[in-house]
Amino acid sequence: MSTKIKNWFKYYKKDQKVLKENSKLKSKSDSIESKKIVLLGNPNVGKSMLFNQLTGSYVTVSNYPGTTVTVDRGKFNIGAEKFEIIDSPGMYSLSSITEEERISKLMLLEEDTDILIHVVDAKNLERMLPLTLQLIEANLPIILVLNMMDEAKKVGTKINYSKLEKQLGIPVVPTTAATGQGLDLLREIIGNYHKKDKIFSVEYNEVIEGAVDKISGLIQSKYPISKRALSLLLLQEDGDVKKLIKENDGSNYEKIMLVVKETTSQFRQPLNYLFRLRLQKNATELVSSTLKTEKTDKLSWGEKVSRLMINPVTGIPILLVIMYFGLYQFVGVFGAGDLVDLVESTIFGEWINPIVTDFVVNNIPFVALQELLVGEYGIWTLGVTYATAIILPIVGTFFLIFSIMEDSGYLPRLAMLINRVFNLIGLSGRAVIPMVLGLGCGSMATMVTRTLETPRERTIATILLALTIPCAAQLGVIFAVLAGHPSALWLWVVIMLLLYVIIGLTASKLMPGENPTFYMEIPPLRLPRPTQVLKKTYTRLIWYFKEIVPLFILISIILWALSLTGILNMMIALITPVITAIGLPIETAETFILGFFRRDYGAAGLYDIQSTLTGVQLLVSAVVLTLFMPCVAQFMVMTKERGWKISLLIAGFVVTFAFTIGFVLNWVLTTLGVVL
Amino acid sequence: MKCALCGYDFDETKRLEICQGCLGSGCKKIRCPNCGYETLPDPEIGSKIMKFLKKLKKEA
Repeated sequence: MSTKIKNWFKYYKKDQKVLKENSKLKSKSDSIESKKIVLLGNPNVGKSMLFNQLTGSYVTVSNYPGTTVTVDRGKFNIGAEKFEIIDSPGMYSLSSITEEERISKLMLLEEDTDILIHVVDAKNLERMLPLTLQLIEANLPIILVLNMMDEAKKVGTKINYSKLEKQLGIPVVPTTAATGQGLDLLREIIGNYHKKDKIFSVEYNEVIEGAVDKISGLIQSKYPISKRALSLLLLQEDGDVKKLIKENDGSNYEKIMLVVKETTSQFRQPLNYLFRLRLQKNATELVSSTLKTEKTDKLSWGEKVSRLMINPVTGIPILLVIMYFGLYQFVGVFGAGDLVDLVESTIFGEWINPIVTDFVVNNIPFVALQELLVGEYGIWTLGVTYATAIILPIVGTFFLIFSIMEDSGYLPRLAMLINRVFNLIGLSGRAVIPMVLGLGCGSMATMVTRTLETPRERTIATILLALTIPCAAQLGVIFAVLAGHPSALWLWVVIMLLLYVIIGLTASKLMPGENPTFYMEIPPLRLPRPTQVLKKTYTRLIWYFKEIVPLFILISIILWALSLTGILNMMIALITPVITAIGLPIETAETFILGFFRRDYGAAGLYDIQSTLTGVQLLVSAVVLTLFMPCVAQFMVMTKERGWKISLLIAGFVVTFAFTIGFVLNWVLTTLGVVL
Repeated sequence: MKCALCGYDFDETKRLEICQGCLGSGCKKIRCPNCGYETLPDPEIGSKIMKFLKKLKKEA
């Protein structure tokens, strides 16, 4: 019998034993009321592993009341004492942003908890302690679990647990949930838990402390968390706490909100930002006196490369190398050059399309129907040919590179690298996520902007997404179109980056606010696995193809109908003055109309007529098409997320801005006599 | 599953809601509840091919 099977039997028997024991204990102790434990902490700190270690296999999964967020509940015993344990969704702060965080906060606000276990990643103690301090402020019965101690030791981190425990005034337990190390001590502390009298206190300035005293005095009802924590959350205008106070302390609610209003008006910056700074300062002081990191020479190759990728001095050159070989050489030269040439010119141009056209012309007597199938905007000659012969090879090569970047763990490092630029333009690093998502699909990315903390950030991110972030397919085709003119390609990159910074800076000046901090877990860097990369590429390609073919066919039908009724010519005539003003031939007008329906369709149209355009015209078209109106799908999501008024304003601004930039760019390049 | 962007471990059934931007909105992409990054489920044809290849490998 192999070792794997032996181990499986060992664990199976152990699981069965735990199940039996749990079952016996359950029946014995049903009459005894169990104590409630809540596991809480950031995502990816090993909460679920700790939960499984404590409960064995006895778990029930249910939706948190009134929400779609599921919560795991389990039971276990320590001696004769019975415990119910809840694994809460990951949270970074009590001032919740996401729905998951909100559910964890509601658990604390609405349910009485006997013990709260705050699980942190020992490697990132400084970043995670602010939440511990917030929980201490809430006067909750906390045990701080420093998990992943094995990984912390590997990176040379040494923590003085007893000193930290003394300073915080709560039990601190080092564990490695993956191996079960430290769990006996945790069980012992849970079994003998008693709250200490002297606990750490975060102190704010006089104005805040005065407001906290006033609000605390006005809160009359009893709540599971302290009046101080409720007051601090009210000062941050937390919607859930406001609702709770209104329901239970309705008579004093107006007075409380008046104190909140008077206090917030005395500060230029939002209080949640100032509170976060205060908590972080305390956390940094605590860590500096209790944690030491020895410089270790045992950095793995992955960690070394990872650091190089995040550091701007080395990270930017690495990014440029990836762009040159991955995007320019592989996607642009090979995918768009060699592959498209083979598929479009030879396979479709010489073999398939002549056969299909002959068949349609010889068998279908109606000219209008012939036009619909194989005409200028025909389903086959435009829709299917664009999707298969132009988009597919380009996007296929792009997806291969993207899958390599994803599988290696480069994407989160790219996000960390971009974070610094984002802070400069007034966006939090968290906005990196919708921007990276925008490279995939702008619609989903626009939806994800809702996770940004302030309305200002959400609006700036939506503008930047609509304006300067090309989606995967569009990016691939633009690289392909400009691949034959390298100087035009690099100019396009520079112009986009420049516009990105200018628009971000302007928007942040027009809509001032705070720059929240960036939280992101960095998974380990690894060598991409060929089978995974190929599988991901194949999956993406199939999904993309399934998505675009029906759409391209539909757009072909719409264009055919518009052409048949003469509306298309009217539309082209309408935008022709603008097109000629930016120095482009009339043929490109169709490209922009296609681009409105779908960005990649417009880019494919540009690819199709690229041989008729000069380098300058190609650059101007690529810039305007990138900046131009987001596609219909993205616009619809924008209206859902930001409302019609803001979306129409953004769309109006985007179209005007795109053509203005095109005009200026063309004028500068032609005046200077630049040849690209 | 583990999100390829933020590393968040999540249950596939707890995926973020779909954006409903595209026509039909029948999209089955799995979106990380922490950051929204999209992962694609294996296409059915792909799964069948993989199963067939595994079967062939076993028989060999």
